[in-house]
Amino acid sequence: MSKKNTSAKSEKLNVGVYGITGCAGCQLSLIFNEDEILDVVNLVNLKAFPFIKEVNIDEQFDCVILEGLVADKGDLETVKKLRKNTKMLVSLGACACTGCVPAYRHFTLKENYEHLLYKKMEEIEDVDPTPIDEHVQVDYYIPGCPPDKKEIITFIKSVAKGIVPRPYQSPVCVECRRNGNTCLLDSGKPCLGPITTGGCDSVCINGGFECWGCRGPTKDMNLDLMIKMLRDRGFDDKFIQDRMRTFVGLKLPMLEKVMKPGEKPDKLQTQFYGEKIYYG
Amino acid sequence: MGKTITLNHITKIEGHAKLELGIDKGKVKTCKLSAVEGSRYFEGLVRGRKYYEAHEMTSRICGVCSCAHVIAAISAIENALGYNPTEQTKTLRVLMTLGERIRSHATHLYFLALPDYVGYESALAMAPKYKPQLKNALNLMKVGNAVIKTLAARDLHPVSATIGGWLKLPTQQQVDEMRVQLESIRKDAREACKLFSSLKYPDFESKGEWFSLVDEKEYAVLDGKFSSKDNSFEKSEYRKFISEYHELYSSANFVVRENHRYTVGALSRLNNSHKQLSVNAKKMLKESGLKLPSYNPYHNVIAQAIDMMHSLDHAIEICKNLKIVPEEVQKIQPRSGTGVGAVEVPRGTLWHEYTLDDLGTITNANIITPTAQNLLNMQEDIREFVPSVLKKKKEDIIMDIEKLIRSYDPCFSCSAHFLEVKWV
Repeated sequence: MSKKNTSAKSEKLNVGVYGITGCAGCQLSLIFNEDEILDVVNLVNLKAFPFIKEVNIDEQFDCVILEGLVADKGDLETVKKLRKNTKMLVSLGACACTGCVPAYRHFTLKENYEHLLYKKMEEIEDVDPTPIDEHVQVDYYIPGCPPDKKEIITFIKSVAKGIVPRPYQSPVCVECRRNGNTCLLDSGKPCLGPITTGGCDSVCINGGFECWGCRGPTKDMNLDLMIKMLRDRGFDDKFIQDRMRTFVGLKLPMLEKVMKPGEKPDKLQTQFYGEKIYYG
Repeated sequence: MGKTITLNHITKIEGHAKLELGIDKGKVKTCKLSAVEGSRYFEGLVRGRKYYEAHEMTSRICGVCSCAHVIAAISAIENALGYNPTEQTKTLRVLMTLGERIRSHATHLYFLALPDYVGYESALAMAPKYKPQLKNALNLMKVGNAVIKTLAARDLHPVSATIGGWLKLPTQQQVDEMRVQLESIRKDAREACKLFSSLKYPDFESKGEWFSLVDEKEYAVLDGKFSSKDNSFEKSEYRKFISEYHELYSSANFVVRENHRYTVGALSRLNNSHKQLSVNAKKMLKESGLKLPSYNPYHNVIAQAIDMMHSLDHAIEICKNLKIVPEEVQKIQPRSGTGVGAVEVPRGTLWHEYTLDDLGTITNANIITPTAQNLLNMQEDIREFVPSVLKKKKEDIIMDIEKLIRSYDPCFSCSAHFLEVKWV
């Protein structure tokens, strides 16, 4: 039986949506724009989206939106191939942007996970869990675990119209205050909102849960003050480090040095994101 | 002459899987179904972390069933701490799990399974001709997501459910609005049952054993014994019965019940507990013509539609009776111990187990997903099914195999897929 593929060829932008190792949550977040998804995919020429498409043409893209982190050799090949085949590469979600929880493996003891390791075929051999920009250049980041679903669809709509997405750098606290939430730090919770890039509408704090920093550090974060606030609330250094590293550990290489008494690194700013962080 | 079928990247599933099939003189010589994605080692990552951090981390195992992992992790940790949640907390957890079943089944049925049966490469390609059907799907997904978002702030990786209670309770008004929204999709759920009952499924009988939680009180969600027609055991005893092993060719473990293959999912739930279905779901079951017990894994697709109808009715019933009372999150004194949590999630029974020390630090964790439990059965089903269709054209054989894999709604946890077929 031959499969009907009704996506038309046209002057529209050639777009691909892909996932490597991850949880598919970011790709689902795109699909979960229930009122818009069927129309928005028609604004572009969706050449590939293997999660929900069987016919996928993986070359000559204008834009590839990629979810997931590099965790095995297959991922690495995919990332390199997609970079070669696209004009614009977009990291979608925390795994792609920062490595997310799987990359926290760098900061846990080997004895914690070595019982889970076993020998595998060469093509699925592990590589260090890393975000995409450790391997290839990334043009835009849509951060968050997962990103707000409207952010993803707005990004696609903007790109389809040829609009350059604008950066967003304010911390979560800005939206949190606007939403009228009680400050969780004031009630002794280890909230990382002050150092974390917003754009999420402070969704976790709206639900009563402290920010774990999934969207990554702001460019001008005051890490010293954040650490002091957490210590003042009785959290020990191990807890503080573990919490800060859960989603974005690889993007906080200065953390250990900052936490040592008497140490003052010259630069606290992260190189991560640059001006290219996107908020819809 | 022998031939080989290799499906390198199977599309329209959650995750990255590969099938290698070697056939000689009408007999299947090799059949290897494997997850070929990067390993993430979640069970190792939570070691050394606090008991109240596990659910936020393990939620990231899976997007579409993130509620499932949150609830399973919380249940297991509370079990280790010897804490019994309040009735209201349990009810909200059940409601969230049902909301997830609705959105997950709707997504799988229409976006991943249906295109195969109507001859399209994707739901997107179907859109011009199948707009009303896709509208049914999107309505179901939207309300399922809304239930989760109302209860737990986010529809993926929900945050308000926690150890000892609920961080932010929904208001009574929100519960009432949820009921209205849920009632508005009854017709969509009925249409789904009708549509998936009308499709033609290949004939096949799996030799696996059909397991699900079975609860005397109701069609199981959070409670019950893990049971099949012939066997039944308590959650806490799972290690005595269930064991895992790995193969060089797969990054997901295989799971067996005392060396036997078994399967979990919507059809298992129906086979074991169909007498407890809601009135509407029973009616849909009768109209579907599906005879239970059914051992045909392809029927899992119809079973999901009926399971979705039931989940919707159950959720509406809960909203009708739910009177929100203010409750603080209970402070629980950490203590050492091991706890097990098992939940009937969209794809079957999900297991979480944690061991804590005196200070509430996690010292060990074990997680067994529905797909891991189904993996061996899927592989063996393919081995046994293929000889019956060898006379068909090669693309039809591949289609039947892909339909079989997709009917299990496997969740290999995400990756790039690109269908590549090698036929020697």
